[in-house]
Amino acid sequence: MTKYMPRAVRKTGLILFPAFDWCITPSHPEREERLLYTRDQIVEEGLEDVDGIEFFNPELAEYADIDRVHLCAPSSKALLTESHLISAGGAIRAAKAVMEKEVERAFAIVRPPGHHAMQTVFGDRGFCIANIEAIMVEHLRRHYGVRRIAIVDTDCHHGDGTQDIFYNDPDLLFISLHQDGRTLYPGSGFQNEAGGPAAQGYTINLPLPPGTGEEGFSMVTDRVVLPLLDAFKPELVLNSAGQDNHYSDPLTNMNFTAQGYARLNKAINPDICVLEGGYSIEGALPYTNLGIILAMAGLDTSNVREPDYDPRRFVQSALMNGQIEGICQNALDIFAARKKWDTGVRRGEEVVERKSIYYDTTGFGVDQVRHYKLCPDCPGYTEVEASGAGELMHGFTVPFNACSKCQQAARDAFARAAKAKGPREQVVLQDRVADIYETV
Amino acid sequence: MKTVGIDVGGTNADGVLLEGESLLAKAKIPVDHDNLSGVIIALLEKLLGDNAGQVDQVHLSSTLCTNAIVNGEMDEVGMLVQAGPGLNPEFLDCGENLVFLDGAIDHRGGLVKSPSAALVDAALADFSAKGLQSIGVVTKFSHRNPQVEQDLARQAASFPHVTCGHNLSGLPNFPRRVYTTWINAGLKTRFQQFSEAIRTGVKRLGITAPLSVLKADGGTIPLERAEAVPCESVLSGPSASVMGALALTPREKDFVVLDIGGTTTDIGLFADGVPLMEPYGVTIMGRPTLIRALNTRSVGLGGDSEVKWTEDGYVIGPQRHGVPAAFSKGKITGATPSDAMVVLNRMEGNRERAAEALRLLLPNNPPEETAREVLLSFGQNIKRAVEQMVEDVFARPVYTVSALLERQRLEPTEIIAVGGPAEALRSELAAAFDLPCEVPLNYEVANAIGAARTRPTLSASLYANSSDGTLSIPEIGLHEEIGRSYGMKDAEESLAAAIRHLAAQAGLEGELPPVEFVEREEMNTVRGFSATGKVIALKAQVKPGLAGV
Repeated sequence: MTKYMPRAVRKTGLILFPAFDWCITPSHPEREERLLYTRDQIVEEGLEDVDGIEFFNPELAEYADIDRVHLCAPSSKALLTESHLISAGGAIRAAKAVMEKEVERAFAIVRPPGHHAMQTVFGDRGFCIANIEAIMVEHLRRHYGVRRIAIVDTDCHHGDGTQDIFYNDPDLLFISLHQDGRTLYPGSGFQNEAGGPAAQGYTINLPLPPGTGEEGFSMVTDRVVLPLLDAFKPELVLNSAGQDNHYSDPLTNMNFTAQGYARLNKAINPDICVLEGGYSIEGALPYTNLGIILAMAGLDTSNVREPDYDPRRFVQSALMNGQIEGICQNALDIFAARKKWDTGVRRGEEVVERKSIYYDTTGFGVDQVRHYKLCPDCPGYTEVEASGAGELMHGFTVPFNACSKCQQAARDAFARAAKAKGPREQVVLQDRVADIYETV
Repeated sequence: MKTVGIDVGGTNADGVLLEGESLLAKAKIPVDHDNLSGVIIALLEKLLGDNAGQVDQVHLSSTLCTNAIVNGEMDEVGMLVQAGPGLNPEFLDCGENLVFLDGAIDHRGGLVKSPSAALVDAALADFSAKGLQSIGVVTKFSHRNPQVEQDLARQAASFPHVTCGHNLSGLPNFPRRVYTTWINAGLKTRFQQFSEAIRTGVKRLGITAPLSVLKADGGTIPLERAEAVPCESVLSGPSASVMGALALTPREKDFVVLDIGGTTTDIGLFADGVPLMEPYGVTIMGRPTLIRALNTRSVGLGGDSEVKWTEDGYVIGPQRHGVPAAFSKGKITGATPSDAMVVLNRMEGNRERAAEALRLLLPNNPPEETAREVLLSFGQNIKRAVEQMVEDVFARPVYTVSALLERQRLEPTEIIAVGGPAEALRSELAAAFDLPCEVPLNYEVANAIGAARTRPTLSASLYANSSDGTLSIPEIGLHEEIGRSYGMKDAEESLAAAIRHLAAQAGLEGELPPVEFVEREEMNTVRGFSATGKVIALKAQVKPGLAGV
């Protein structure tokens, strides 16, 4: 446009949608004001005039986009507001901008976030109902034929929802960097959570000790994240760009900085970023979001710092460094031992996983049993039974990379279950190969 | 009421004398860009003759400031800039005398740190030693807190001119604020000379009426007030043509205005009879600014554009061919849309030469057919440009769920075309848009009529944070304390008072056109888990429109 404004090295799209008229409750961290100061900073910086930074409004996701990923009880229509469709639609718009080459990179700065929403959804947990990254991933696969995707989740809370949705998917490498689950919601994300039977070693958790700062994040990035991305060779790298590792975040105990976020983003070099959490709305988000945007666009980030930033405050102890080195080594070992489906198994064999899922926003529990149906040729379909809040969900999910035999097996099982359906029970066939969501 | 409108264009200056809506007289003289005030005075003399004393007001649309910027004839400006954290500010390109200060103001207008006195003193001493006359001071977020700019202005008070960023606009966008401030400060000497020359000349002619200049936002500003904000008179030409089209064909619906010239076509959009504004301001010489402006776009399509034939069809513009064959002598080197118009007898000119020019494009095609095809293609090109513009307006960022769901695309129902080739292109434009196309009477002096009929515009922006207890209305330099209970009603009152203040400052007498409140934002602020107050943002404007008659 002009030589009087900076020029982005990589054309970058921003879907900046602060939803100033939506909140969970007026004083909830997820309230109208959350992205106000971020919007103000971005606009004041003049990013709208920077050559190579493009702004897009979000689209509304369709219910089919939600149903491709989630099993919602009672239904996606009943659980989601327009705000959720817009937030998911913002992520989809980011993906579309990149896939249709409007831009090279895109960042959806949208709310509400999504990474605590699991496959089965009975309500809001951890401020999330719809997993907007997962919805974007399946949209990318459905509409753009993308197969191998890596998600690096840099939110301070474990991305338990995203992990749950892709747990048995060897075409998706999920790496989550977060504060140790023994000290923070949702209390998961330990290193033994490493993937389902058909995707062992494709879920990599990096639980970091409280107080981890730039040094610790650099270490896991350099030693684990980058080598794993190199080895996995994804078609796309996504970043669930939560910003609550920041030293000023009120809900967490980490020591990360805007400079750190910018460097982390430069190193990971994601194709698409989606905002997740981050609740230091004045002291962190305006600067961390700006740092991430500039890093994506290949612009100078050296002047992006909090007004009270002083690097001397963020020196890590040798003890902590040692601890993080151990975590890195475990992660490398887990990934080195990864294996996809086991060709030794027989069709119809299964692995059963039980889970209790707590919905913290309104306060109820869901008990869930998931059956991973093993297959010698593909990841196999899954059957899930989940009950809570007066609802009973009985779902059959055919993953996008399933073989035709598993697809047929899931259909047969669905038909049998539909016949035997109990009074409160909802039986669902979620066939991602045929893009069908059928409910009885 | 007798009003004079003057529009100084690239080649000619047009003047009209109106009584109410009716045109009493018009005049035209060639422009001498080195003596614009002289041109204007000569035009006034030609237009008014002995009736100079009976004129009630004079409105000027002049290219003075635009030319000064384009030709690099601005004053050297000493710029004091506090950027704070964010984008590395080194890209800012506004002369040799730009000094970055330390410290910062944050996004809520909180003063993080004032610039250190030593840096400021050294910079001012250097500017003084260099003999600079104009100083510009800008901080990031000065629209939220103008105090640092005000302090710096006080320290620079010994310089003849000081421009503060916050006085020029209450909108966010720091780079634009820097460029706007620089341009404003750099125009001061030239504009002052111009203004004085006009005043002297007008007095000599016996005109006692108040003088106003046209702004890019489709409004006017008294000449005296413009001396403080000369940047406001930049790029007033498109605004004159848009307002002229409105004056000639007032209507309350969505429509498109086309001002078709020799080299370019200027496009303006109206929603419900009101011209659309740029979200921030004009871009001039590549520099984005906060100079409020109508949303107009200039495309390289005009009567004298170069026409070529390629595999993909006709390519018209953006280069200018030069004088069309139909109007010139000597060797025929190419074709223009004007030649096509002459061949089809829609315009006076040498039809033989025009036909010859069209044969250069397609030797085996009858010239009449080529002519029709060229004009159809012209219409299609304009339609594409309008569609892109409508799409860009629709795609502007919105920030609320309700705004996103309620967005509506502009649906033009009519085309208004002015400018030399307008009449000759009417049927092709109507066909391309599949809409009625009107070419109003007196369209050749539409710009001057637009200048004459335009009324003043004003705008002010408010940012209140009752949790921090601060209120800021940058355009009037207001930054004061407020109580916890300050609400939207209070904000409206504060802003209405600010608009009255600005009107008085501009010397506007009598009743103001209605003040409109726009872009409301109101949000509770919560710290810990309890509400601490509200953030309120609001803008007020007297929007562009036609003066009553």
